[in-house]
Amino acid sequence: MKTLSLKNLAKTYFDPYAGSHVNAVHDVSLNVEQGEFVSVVGPSGCGKTTILNMIAGFIPYTGGEILLDGKPVREPGPERGVVFQSFALFPWKTVLDNVGFGPKMRGVPKAERDRIAREYLALAGLSHAAHRYPNELSGGMQQRVGVVRALANNPDVLLMDEPFASVDAQTRMTLQEELTRIWQERKPTVLFITHDVSEAVFLANRVVVLSKGRILDQVEVDLPRPRVWDDLVKDDKFKQLSARVLQMVRAA
Amino acid sequence: MEVTGSLKRRSPWLARSVSSLAGAAMFVAPLLALVAIWAVVVPLFDINPRVFPSVGSVGTAAMDSIRDGTLPAHVGASLLRVGLGTLIGIVTAVPLGIAMGVSPTVAAFLTPLFRFFSVLAGIAWIPIATLWFGYGFGAIVFVIFNAVFFVVAYNTLLGVKTIPHTLRNAASSLGAGRWALLTEVLLPGALPNIVTGIRTGLGFAWRGLIAAEMIATNVGLGYMLFVARDFYRTEVIVFGMIVIGVLWLLIDRLLLVPLERATIERWGMVRRA
Repeated sequence: MKTLSLKNLAKTYFDPYAGSHVNAVHDVSLNVEQGEFVSVVGPSGCGKTTILNMIAGFIPYTGGEILLDGKPVREPGPERGVVFQSFALFPWKTVLDNVGFGPKMRGVPKAERDRIAREYLALAGLSHAAHRYPNELSGGMQQRVGVVRALANNPDVLLMDEPFASVDAQTRMTLQEELTRIWQERKPTVLFITHDVSEAVFLANRVVVLSKGRILDQVEVDLPRPRVWDDLVKDDKFKQLSARVLQMVRAA
Repeated sequence: MEVTGSLKRRSPWLARSVSSLAGAAMFVAPLLALVAIWAVVVPLFDINPRVFPSVGSVGTAAMDSIRDGTLPAHVGASLLRVGLGTLIGIVTAVPLGIAMGVSPTVAAFLTPLFRFFSVLAGIAWIPIATLWFGYGFGAIVFVIFNAVFFVVAYNTLLGVKTIPHTLRNAASSLGAGRWALLTEVLLPGALPNIVTGIRTGLGFAWRGLIAAEMIATNVGLGYMLFVARDFYRTEVIVFGMIVIGVLWLLIDRLLLVPLERATIERWGMVRRA
């Protein structure tokens, strides 16, 4: 089993304005099992994006350990796919070439990586947009590309950094439903960062509440799947769980 | 439904060529008006041809220089120098600009030098260039290279710096190594600025070329103007000036503007004009 485990993870950095060291993350220990969908929720400044950036290898950590499948993580690598809030699509590549980028880096020949890219575009209902450029797509469509670009590289774990925060509310709900559908089909391991409590509960098997750089509590979400908003907004269990998480976040 | 810009792409060929013809007409009209005034004023005030030529004599000079092959020789020499100098400038400036964009240390170290040499770039180099390369081809190509090099390197640096850092992160998290980061992210990401740099640099180079050819050679458009002056051939001078202007417009419109359009605007990296 390819487990992502954080052991006493810590990040201290020097704040030139305060003139002192700041602990952005301290003593965070967390295991994400293969095929699990874990949401990390917390107010801004709680260190959730810092944690994701350390797992992705974009910034170094100053204490503890990050292990993926038992091996320590220090730098960015294709076994950890990232979906960015700002989409981060390559504007000079077509949708097809954006999605085929990971396979291209692995040396997959053109015909084969186009086939892979088309398969994943179909998964997100984007087959018709294969030859468009990112700037020709709406925000919602761009982030669908962002998600399948990461998936097409077949990562051990998918790291998602508030991916739906910059699209409008209706599109966001559609994207959330699509993500749960894709997750059920492919069962990728997902670590999903958000400040939106109902989003965290809607998507995940487990919600981790973060506050001031520490894990406050964890909540199992045993809601049945497939999950759709029309049902869940009326669902008592969903309401209860959301309320519980919201209370923790607000007390944080 | 959610797609924008698709209408623009599907605009029919006919409409597009009509609109570009109209654009060309708008561009040419003031120039034709100037020629018309010239055609009236010179005979009206009986201006001495040693001061300014008539339209007809310039036309004759044009026909003569084409017929006896001097114009093609001058134009050919000038274009070859500009082409070669520009090519060397781009090939050396882009890697340096990228190195500066990637490494703050390299950028900090080289920036003062760039400030200094941007001021000097151009015809100030002609005297020493003729000492190094002798009168002629080498010295002029060097001056062109100078005009292009600093502008392109600086714009490349800017281009690399404007690439959002998340794009580099995205590439490396998809498995891109250093080389792939360079060819797949840094180069295409900086390309809009590189193209702008080439366009600006070539503009400087073209001006520098004419100046350098007046001093340091015996063939080329600048030389053609300079020699005509010795014989009071104002019609050759004016014809040469027209050729210099028209050639630049052709280079800009037929080469540089389409290059910008093919890359930058397609990618939505600058606003469509």
